[in-house]
Amino acid sequence: MSDTHDHSGPREDELVAAEYALGVLSGAERAAAERRLAREPAFARLISAWEERLAPLAAEIDEVSPPPEVWGRIATALPPPSETRPRLWSSLAFWRGFGFVSAFTAACLALVVYFGSFKGGEPLVAAIDGGGHHHFVATVDDKRSTIAVMPAAFSDDGNGRVPELWLIPSDGKPRPLGLLRADHTVTLALPAELSKLAARNSVLAVSLEPPGGSPTGRPTGPVIASGKLENL
Amino acid sequence: MDLDANRSLIVAALAQISVGDRAALQTVYRLTSPKLFGVALRILGERSEAEDVLQEIYLTVWRKASAFDPTRASPITWLVAIARNRAIDRLRAAGRNRRMETIETATDVADPAPGADSALEEDEANAKLHVCLDALAERERTALRAAFFDGNTYEELAARMRVPLGTMKSTIRRAMIKLKACLEQ
Repeated sequence: MSDTHDHSGPREDELVAAEYALGVLSGAERAAAERRLAREPAFARLISAWEERLAPLAAEIDEVSPPPEVWGRIATALPPPSETRPRLWSSLAFWRGFGFVSAFTAACLALVVYFGSFKGGEPLVAAIDGGGHHHFVATVDDKRSTIAVMPAAFSDDGNGRVPELWLIPSDGKPRPLGLLRADHTVTLALPAELSKLAARNSVLAVSLEPPGGSPTGRPTGPVIASGKLENL
Repeated sequence: MDLDANRSLIVAALAQISVGDRAALQTVYRLTSPKLFGVALRILGERSEAEDVLQEIYLTVWRKASAFDPTRASPITWLVAIARNRAIDRLRAAGRNRRMETIETATDVADPAPGADSALEEDEANAKLHVCLDALAERERTALRAAFFDGNTYEELAARMRVPLGTMKSTIRRAMIKLKACLEQ
């Protein structure tokens, strides 16, 4: 075997990540890399970095339209939709019927009823308020795995910017949670590392960002509303 | 199709998939399936197999969408990596690769197609990668390109380029080290 195989540690990890991303490993070596990918975040990051480096090559591959029946096969293979949420819940038209102020009150009441059915969990809720036309209601589920954000009132600034949600825990550093919508409830997944930080008294804030969200991972536009997470 | 222009749409749809939104998966499929089908077809070399794998690709997207982090990766990179990995898994499970023609020169492997996806071709990262690939020795570049486009293993590449396995491993590893150093300059 060549000299490049005598090393171990970070350099060897880097090369195995490169080999996995390129796709040259076979059988047991590929399976071993996949097991490490699932368990070791640092190794997974090395692989992602190599995928990013090699990705431009894919631009050379011509697009080919798949036959239309493939989508049908995918749709059939998906698990059946779970009906955990009443449809009324996410319908803004329903809330508009009440007017925004009463909608907010109703939302809080609905949350009490809705989460009342959970056993043992402690959902969190936040009124994200910027006064006037900027008002969202956020709820974090009892497992801290998702955050649902309903627009109680929001009007955009006419510059095409979009509302982005941030979690600001006690260390004061904002973490991006995802983009919000002015017209319906958005449910965002809380990654494991953020779910610990979604605690009572952590702050949720909404900033206005370019379409697609902040390019830097930090708020770049004005913060238009904020509120603390509280126990329901 | 300009995938970069659709980037924010794909990011938003992936976020919706992670909460079980089937329409969002269809959006991602509509925007990206020609590219991913092209990738799978290039590696597998056979349409019906590529169709099966395309289905596996989007079922993987459905399951893994919550793991996608737009602050860390481009959605196209993430999707192309899933497509390549599912296609390569299929090749490894079958235990054979259709793309086993002997490689004599770099032109035996996937010529850069001038018409292919010009929006991505002009991309800065793409330009830099090509500068760095051009800086490699010809054998290194040829082996890397064959691995990427044809999904060959080390053993298959060694056979195609008629060199011992150990030589092929050190060629690819040396090429990857050089490539990373060049891209980081």
